[in-house]
Amino acid sequence: MNRSVAVALAVARKDLTSEWRTRELLPALGQFVVLALVIANFGFQIDSQNAATIAPGVLWLTLVFAGLVAFGRAFAAEREQASLEAVLLTPASPAAIFAGKAIAAGLLLVACELVLLPVLTLFFGTPLNLRLVVAVLVATVGMAALGCLFAAMVARVRAREVLLPLLTLPLWIPFVVAGGQAVQVAMGANGSYDQALGLLVDFDILFVVLTSLAARFVLDE
Amino acid sequence: MSTIVGQQLTQRFGSDLALDSVDLVLDAGEHLAVLGENGAGKTTLLRILATAARPTAGRLEIFGLDALRERNRLRARIGFVAHAPGLYPALSAIENLEFFCSLHGVDRGRVSGTLDLVGLTDVARRPAGRLSRGEQQRLAIGRAVLHDPRLLILDEPDASLDSGGADLLARVMQGRSAVLATHDHALANRLCCRTLVLRSGRSLGAGTRLRVVR
Repeated sequence: MNRSVAVALAVARKDLTSEWRTRELLPALGQFVVLALVIANFGFQIDSQNAATIAPGVLWLTLVFAGLVAFGRAFAAEREQASLEAVLLTPASPAAIFAGKAIAAGLLLVACELVLLPVLTLFFGTPLNLRLVVAVLVATVGMAALGCLFAAMVARVRAREVLLPLLTLPLWIPFVVAGGQAVQVAMGANGSYDQALGLLVDFDILFVVLTSLAARFVLDE
Repeated sequence: MSTIVGQQLTQRFGSDLALDSVDLVLDAGEHLAVLGENGAGKTTLLRILATAARPTAGRLEIFGLDALRERNRLRARIGFVAHAPGLYPALSAIENLEFFCSLHGVDRGRVSGTLDLVGLTDVARRPAGRLSRGEQQRLAIGRAVLHDPRLLILDEPDASLDSGGADLLARVMQGRSAVLATHDHALANRLCCRTLVLRSGRSLGAGTRLRVVR
């Protein structure tokens, strides 16, 4: 196996094992997702006419804020444990280390989506289909890459909880726009699903490449 | 060939001068103790030598390579024990070391020998967060030698170690070049053949252990 892939998988496995044993993040994220949907359910006058219009917005709002929490913890925990320096002082490539962190944080967000999508269907009565799941999963890839990059940047800053959303949210807008369109179409609205999904894939490629290149400079000292 | 050649190493943090034009030479297989009071610049110097920090000014060669440009190549040959153990508390001692085997690209078969070396075989499956502070320090020392580095940088590794700590350090330093920062002059005298004394970031000069003990 390619060494960088092995490093990335080792980092991701380590993060997921730690999360599985401590259950620090996932239960809180699951609770957050359900609570956000409950609030949205009571906050909007939802009926069969407007559910498909409102549901995509609620989905992306919930996902974006859950993502901020998930990605924010990806590097904060390493800094608190003072373990990141030991990792960076190995000959492993910073890009591979970064990829591992992003994979683990992305999978945590996917776990969150496993709760989000059925509960959204339950509360809003919107369809849960393969096109919807694919659109959300494809968007998660690029969001994870960007979210982890900024999380790494702000991890050593005291006001990281404020800075992370300020840096990340503007660059997540393309995912919300294209993802929103794809989800709307998947829920029955008119429009081109393929075009929106293609755009999401383009954004994924662009941001995964850019963040991989930037990871070296962000992680190194 | 010298293992380390540092010239005019300087580190500024804003307006603070943490390290002021320190010169340093370490020959192959030599053990150097860095002594000094709190805030003298020991940790700053050791972090630069471990390639964890870049000096503001100065030149540093390790194993004949420019340490500022060839950091990645050098990291395979340097082991660093920092102030904090920096372990993963939810992972066992074995899992912590296996993870670092993956990062170094070395065989996981080294883990059991390393645990034996640092005296942690009996608690190998215990989560690192449930080890005592001394055991965590032993695990951090084990992690630093896991990839069999030729140069060891040890920042107050004796902190939290029990009475067997000096023997452990002697074992891991054997056959390697080493730089050891400590407040314990007796330990420095026992493990190192030369000393470098720092005060307020400045070198007060290097000497043999006997001169410093006097």
